[in-house]
Amino acid sequence: MNKHILVWVGAISMMGLAGCTQSMAQAPAHDAMASHAAMTSGTKASQLRAGLNNLFSEHVYLAGAATNAALGGREAEFKSAAGALDANSVAISKAIGSVYGEGAEKAFLPLWRRHIGFVVDYTVGVASNDKGKQDKAVNDLVAYTQDFGAFLASANPNLPKSVVADLVKHHVVTLKDVIDAQASKDPARAYTALRAAAGHMQTIADPLAEAIVKQFPDKFSG
Amino acid sequence: MDGRAVVGAGGGLALIVSALIASAETKPAVDVQIFQFQPAAVEVKAGTAITWTNRDEIEHTVTSGDPEHRTGRFDLRLSSRGTSAKVEFREPGVYPYFCDRHPSMRGEIRVN
Repeated sequence: MNKHILVWVGAISMMGLAGCTQSMAQAPAHDAMASHAAMTSGTKASQLRAGLNNLFSEHVYLAGAATNAALGGREAEFKSAAGALDANSVAISKAIGSVYGEGAEKAFLPLWRRHIGFVVDYTVGVASNDKGKQDKAVNDLVAYTQDFGAFLASANPNLPKSVVADLVKHHVVTLKDVIDAQASKDPARAYTALRAAAGHMQTIADPLAEAIVKQFPDKFSG
Repeated sequence: MDGRAVVGAGGGLALIVSALIASAETKPAVDVQIFQFQPAAVEVKAGTAITWTNRDEIEHTVTSGDPEHRTGRFDLRLSSRGTSAKVEFREPGVYPYFCDRHPSMRGEIRVN
């Protein structure tokens, strides 16, 4: 990854953190995902679980596509992947908002985008062989897991902070495996890791869905 | 743990932070919950003390200004769930604040 590419990867990261790519989520191409995001508190338990699983696994695949394009120096592809990834972030936050309200939705989105920014930082560190940047990004991600755990624990008493944090930490580890494999130009390992990372998201989506149903049994019966 | 900051002293706003014994003066209050200041906007009369209480299982701060422009008027740590801190607003004005650890968390105090 040359310096030019590092610059635009960093710029996209900052845009995402600032929410500037949010408008992309409103484009017609993302309408299909918006339907998942539009889950209301009247959604049945099975639909909730399926919807969350879909959103979280998509998050991993789009993140993997973005990091692969970035590491391969494919600027246009990276920008498109980053835009789609941000649309997924908006959809996940809307799903949270459909259960916990607009305030929680608005609070969740920047928190979620934050970890994507750290993943971008790690990718840039790998691409530039900057061990210090990699280590900082990993430390930021590990610290982030506590924030994420606290958010969900506060929203839902059925989700212990430490349990959520550990699950998200594993998400970070599995995604790191993907990036490392992509950087070493080992596609077989990268795609195996990508499947593992996406599969892991079920261990987050399922407990989240179950905890929401437990918290609001009347709204999610059936 | 309770902390108190007093804001307002002529043009420059003095800041005094000290440990306090829990006071009966607990309202108006702001809960810090699910990474939000609730309510985000509070309007009070000059001389009113506002208490923030952390309901999240993570440290938050109540820091005056915004991430790009800190005013330095108050900067309170709510280190864990259940901790609270208090600021007394003596001077009329608008006092925006945010959480230093989670800069997207914003609030505002309007003092009449």
